[in-house]
Amino acid sequence: MELIEKLKILADSAKYDASCSSSGSRNESKNGIGATAFSGICHSFASDGRCISLLKILMTNSCIFDCKYCLNRRSNSIKRALFTPEEICEITLNFYRRNYIEGLFLSSGILKSPDYTMELLIKTITLLRKKYHFGGYIHCKAIPGASEKLLKELGRLVDRLSANIELPTENGLKLLAPNKESKKIDKIMQYVKENQSKRFVPAGQSTQMIIGATKETDLEIMNKSAAMYKNYHLKRVFYSAYIGVNHDSLLPTLENPPLKRENRLYQADWLLRYYHFKVNDLLNENNPNFNILVDPKCDWALRHLDEFPKEINECSYQDLLKIPGIGVTSAKRIFSSRKVFTLTFDDLKKMGVVLKRSKYFITCNHKYLLDPSMYQKKFIESNLILEEKTPLKKEYEQLRLFNE
Amino acid sequence: MNNVYIYNDTFLSLLNLIDYLILHHIKPYQIKNSQYQSTLLDNVVHLAIEEKDIAGKIVREMGSYSLQQMYYVFLSNVEAKELILYYFYLNGLKYYRDIFKYRNLKCVDKVLKIAKLVQNECHKYKGFVRFKEFNNHVLYAEIEPSSDCLEILSIHFKRRLKNEYWIIKDVRRNLLSLYDKKEFHIVDGTTFSLDNILESREEEKIENLWKAFYQTIGIKERKNDTCRRNFMPKKYWKYMLEVKSEL
Repeated sequence: MELIEKLKILADSAKYDASCSSSGSRNESKNGIGATAFSGICHSFASDGRCISLLKILMTNSCIFDCKYCLNRRSNSIKRALFTPEEICEITLNFYRRNYIEGLFLSSGILKSPDYTMELLIKTITLLRKKYHFGGYIHCKAIPGASEKLLKELGRLVDRLSANIELPTENGLKLLAPNKESKKIDKIMQYVKENQSKRFVPAGQSTQMIIGATKETDLEIMNKSAAMYKNYHLKRVFYSAYIGVNHDSLLPTLENPPLKRENRLYQADWLLRYYHFKVNDLLNENNPNFNILVDPKCDWALRHLDEFPKEINECSYQDLLKIPGIGVTSAKRIFSSRKVFTLTFDDLKKMGVVLKRSKYFITCNHKYLLDPSMYQKKFIESNLILEEKTPLKKEYEQLRLFNE
Repeated sequence: MNNVYIYNDTFLSLLNLIDYLILHHIKPYQIKNSQYQSTLLDNVVHLAIEEKDIAGKIVREMGSYSLQQMYYVFLSNVEAKELILYYFYLNGLKYYRDIFKYRNLKCVDKVLKIAKLVQNECHKYKGFVRFKEFNNHVLYAEIEPSSDCLEILSIHFKRRLKNEYWIIKDVRRNLLSLYDKKEFHIVDGTTFSLDNILESREEEKIENLWKAFYQTIGIKERKNDTCRRNFMPKKYWKYMLEVKSEL
């Protein structure tokens, strides 16, 4: 098989993994090629608008597992291919020299056994690091069920390791990925957490969940994420809207991938990590899914209108973070600037505050931008819905908001 | 009198001039570099100024972040950038390290916004520069940035491609950055000829691999052109082999 043919097959099989970040590492090759940038660098953007930072490929798309949702499952009759370690090095180095990529993201189907597959990955990356002295970014998948010794070896070679949890509950896994056990993934995450250092997985670990393949609610998904951030100090949890690549009675049939739901989960994920929100603030048993029409922060604010409007020149930093339309950066700017002068709405605009969302929730120098009699949930909510950029597509038909 | 003060094109000479003007309570009509074409109403002034450690002074008084932001503004192609820096520095001598808290001042707002634009462009180019291999060992790339990114990019690639010979050409300014595996040198495009270069034999094969990868990695069901253009505006596409054909 020609190299280009292999590349097409093995990139096609890898493309459903959402992760593409190349940040968090500060390495540099001493006597070879390559260095990492702490902020990460995007080298291109694919037709779907996702960043291309790493050469994202599988070692092989052959797999002994038969996970229902996966393109590469054993029972699918698709073209299979296998890269040799030398071939992967050749492509990576040639792409890297020409500045097409920031590094390599290597994953693999399970060949023979987890240990055997992991050894192949290690062999490839060792070649890249030791023979070619490659100092660029490497993100590698850890194979669940492989031995701790191999995990240790791999962790020393890469910048980031990840193991995909794929489904947020054990039941979901049993249903769709009978060969996967969350125990094995927990074991990897625990090990990486305990050993993480400048020399071992310096850019930390991440994971991914598929959204919409099983019936889990957003509450279950967010609880799982929060638990993983807390227990395993993950750098990121990625959410990937389910795309039906296989036909199976156990799988849902969705016309469009639930992209808006994915978007809401990412927004909420940010609120957990940078805005001091708790899952319980955003969702609860009676209200287990995100509002598709407004973002989670606006939704929260609308449910707590009694705490608003907040006075920009007086409220605490924590409170600034809770205001829709104000991000971490603008909150910091407001906090430092208001010590030296009294802020007006004009100043807020200059600082990057999104007034079209925040104007309903703030006063500046005790002035409210709108007619105070409009401070009503219904009015604000309908305006915020109109502000949402993307028009709603078919994916929401199944959602409670329309069907109730 | 419309006094236009001229500096000799370097960042430090501009800072020295601004510092001199402020210390002597001179309010300039304009400050321009040596390429300035004067008009009838202008009174062009060249001052002989004693060079001092102006960068050190700014770092001491206003912090290194201020100096860095001012440098980014200097790299921009904004028409009145020199005057913006003049007013920024004038206020810096009043507010010192607190200067960035005063976002209600026009000059502070402008400096931060322009610096951000320049930084963004430099960062984008770190990803979007595309090298081609020539003569089997020299990497060559062309860029066309709005701001003068060449030095910042060179520092970046010096660290990353340290064992390679590479050349980056700023087509707009006709400048070349040449790297000889030790240091990079930025020279005028007219002083260095790029004849006798031949694309390496493997080049087309590797470019095809990259194009094939690019075509494959996008997910059809998620196609989103607006999003792609937001992150990767079309002005960069001309030199990017994977999207050039879509222009």
